Amino acid sequence: MPRYRHYRRLSVIAATLVVGAGMTAACGGGDGGGGDGASTGTVKLSFWTHTHPPMIDLNKKLIAEYEKSHPNVKIEYQTIPNTEFGTKMLTSLSTGAGPDIINMDDNALRGEYIPKNLLAPVDPAGFGKSSAAEIEGGYVPGTLDGAKDAKGTLYGVPSEFNGTAFAINKKHFKDAGLDPSKPPKTWREVVEYGKALNKAGHKQAFNFLYLHSGWYSQWFQTLANQTGGSILSEDGKTPALQSPGTKAAMNLWVELARTSGIADPKTSSRDATAPYQDLASGTQSMAIVYPWAMEQIQQSNPDTYADLAVVPLPQADPAKPVSRVYGYFWAVNNASKQKTEAWKFISYLASQHDRWLSDVSFVQPVTDWQSSEPAKKTPFIDVIAAAYAQGRYDQVGPHWNEVQDVIRKAVDEAVFDGRPVDDVLKEADESVRRSIG
Amino acid sequence: MSRRDLVGATLSFPALALFALFAIYPGLRVFYLSLFDYSLTSPATFVGLENFRFLATDPRFHEALLNSLFYTVGTYLPALVLALMLAMALHRRMAGGGWIRLLYFLPVATSWVAISVVWRLVLHPHGLLNQTLGLDVTWLTSSAAAPWALVIMSVWKETGFFLILFLAGLSRLPREVFEAAQVDGAGAWRRFWHITFPLLKPVTAICSVMAIIRGLQAFSPQVVLTDGGFGTEVVNLFVYKTAFENARMGRASAVAVFMFFVLICVTLAQLRLFRREDA
Repeated sequence: MPRYRHYRRLSVIAATLVVGAGMTAACGGGDGGGGDGASTGTVKLSFWTHTHPPMIDLNKKLIAEYEKSHPNVKIEYQTIPNTEFGTKMLTSLSTGAGPDIINMDDNALRGEYIPKNLLAPVDPAGFGKSSAAEIEGGYVPGTLDGAKDAKGTLYGVPSEFNGTAFAINKKHFKDAGLDPSKPPKTWREVVEYGKALNKAGHKQAFNFLYLHSGWYSQWFQTLANQTGGSILSEDGKTPALQSPGTKAAMNLWVELARTSGIADPKTSSRDATAPYQDLASGTQSMAIVYPWAMEQIQQSNPDTYADLAVVPLPQADPAKPVSRVYGYFWAVNNASKQKTEAWKFISYLASQHDRWLSDVSFVQPVTDWQSSEPAKKTPFIDVIAAAYAQGRYDQVGPHWNEVQDVIRKAVDEAVFDGRPVDDVLKEADESVRRSIG
Repeated sequence: MSRRDLVGATLSFPALALFALFAIYPGLRVFYLSLFDYSLTSPATFVGLENFRFLATDPRFHEALLNSLFYTVGTYLPALVLALMLAMALHRRMAGGGWIRLLYFLPVATSWVAISVVWRLVLHPHGLLNQTLGLDVTWLTSSAAAPWALVIMSVWKETGFFLILFLAGLSRLPREVFEAAQVDGAGAWRRFWHITFPLLKPVTAICSVMAIIRGLQAFSPQVVLTDGGFGTEVVNLFVYKTAFENARMGRASAVAVFMFFVLICVTLAQLRLFRREDA
């Protein structure tokens, strides 16, 4: 009898502990973007970014400085591998959790976050301004469009604004008897130069980066901008993958990557956590690049960096140059309990635009950024500035992740499997119709 | 109910409560969500069987089903046959037998992700597999080769799992039956076909059920090696992308419900098949 009583008591205690722990875990998860710290007077802000080593270093420095000047603020900084970043951010924001401050690209902002009301509009008070228009007045016109909804409401300020350029390996060019001061101006010339580079032993003359659907989509839109194609119709309601311009873009990709034979796409490095490995290691001779990529190569492979030159992006029609721009923006979770504090911190990050350019090669398109001292010291900044002038933001639409998956599949089948472009685009067009329909 | 039963029931309550909270409830919730259009950010809208109707006509889902089927049959049929053959060879006492078994089991004990990362190097165009076999196959960037690459890796990883089960089954077979058959002049093949294999049917049934379940639930190697590209987007990866990348929770739940019934039906059919042949 006493033995049973002992068991009973034990079981009741165990049940209480386990169920109590379970309920605590179930009810306590996700505080909607950090605790409010009301009980201690400390403001805790959570801040998530993807992984890019130079950016992470500067973020850590700026956080330390901000915490020093704002002793009541504690910032929990978390970096998430690039391959998981989009999924983790979207899922956590959608469930009302997620960080107070996010740093995300304009595709995700306009395609997913803003339409789903996951972000808070910019709070001018956090910037010490009276209106969003006043904030916008500090930036080059049009550059904040990547963080606006259809009505023009602003949801973020740029941490980086990227124009598309082209990198060539001057040493490889000299090996092939090419003049690095006369880089290819058209894609046709890229093929011609590529054949010369091949003959000189540089077998990977030009490659795209095949990392994940987002990268496929960005290359495709870069080419489609130049050939007059698009993924969706102008009103964004129907697919346009069978239009002549879009077919021309895919044919151009197939020619550059497959039929010209100037490189083997199957040997291209596909590690999304460290893009541009082949260019950085001196294996690849030419690549489409962004400013941050050059900074990354400078830090990881300084010897190769010394051999690289950044030149304008080759064009389908040099008489009508078109480029692609994209941006990453600092924005605030709509579920955050301390939005104004979050915007104050963002305001501090944004105020350090010269350091972002000098330390990370991130251009923040504030008015007259080109005349800043770091801009003058950046060797290829004129090329990037010209790319901005010709650039346009990507097209986005509903269920954009699915659409990007469709583009990836079409490119894989056309480039890697050698299926006819007309066939893959016809199937892709139907898939996009189902996704956005 | 006796007092002893009551104590037993009380002690099992915490585990049952956790099971109900973290397994039964989410499971039921998936059934419920499959009837809704739900994107996490907006209230769920009841759509009846619309998600199932969409899937019935969705080429991407059909492709994922076929990919899962190919992977399951391609991986687990050879793995089961190989495991049985190896078990027959290894169940006798031999020098170093324990070490050999351990070697076969090591891939099973290693995580799918770790193994997949290693096999990315093995399957690289200039990797170990091509160099060893003198091939020039782009294993992970071709729709013709990528599904096979996953099968090859998975056979290597999964054979050891079934080997252990078959070894356990073989160790419990009565020796006298084999001795009598040998005395009667039955050769090795006849002893295997007429004695070993029939007696192993319960183990074979369990192995085949587990093989189908493991095959249709594959996810990690496809994510790490190809991210579902080149004809390797299996059903679970389709569910993951639909739910978490595209925030279509209702549609993803419908796939999960569909696969639940598929697995139940296949498992029942397998068990019935083995039971009937056993009778």
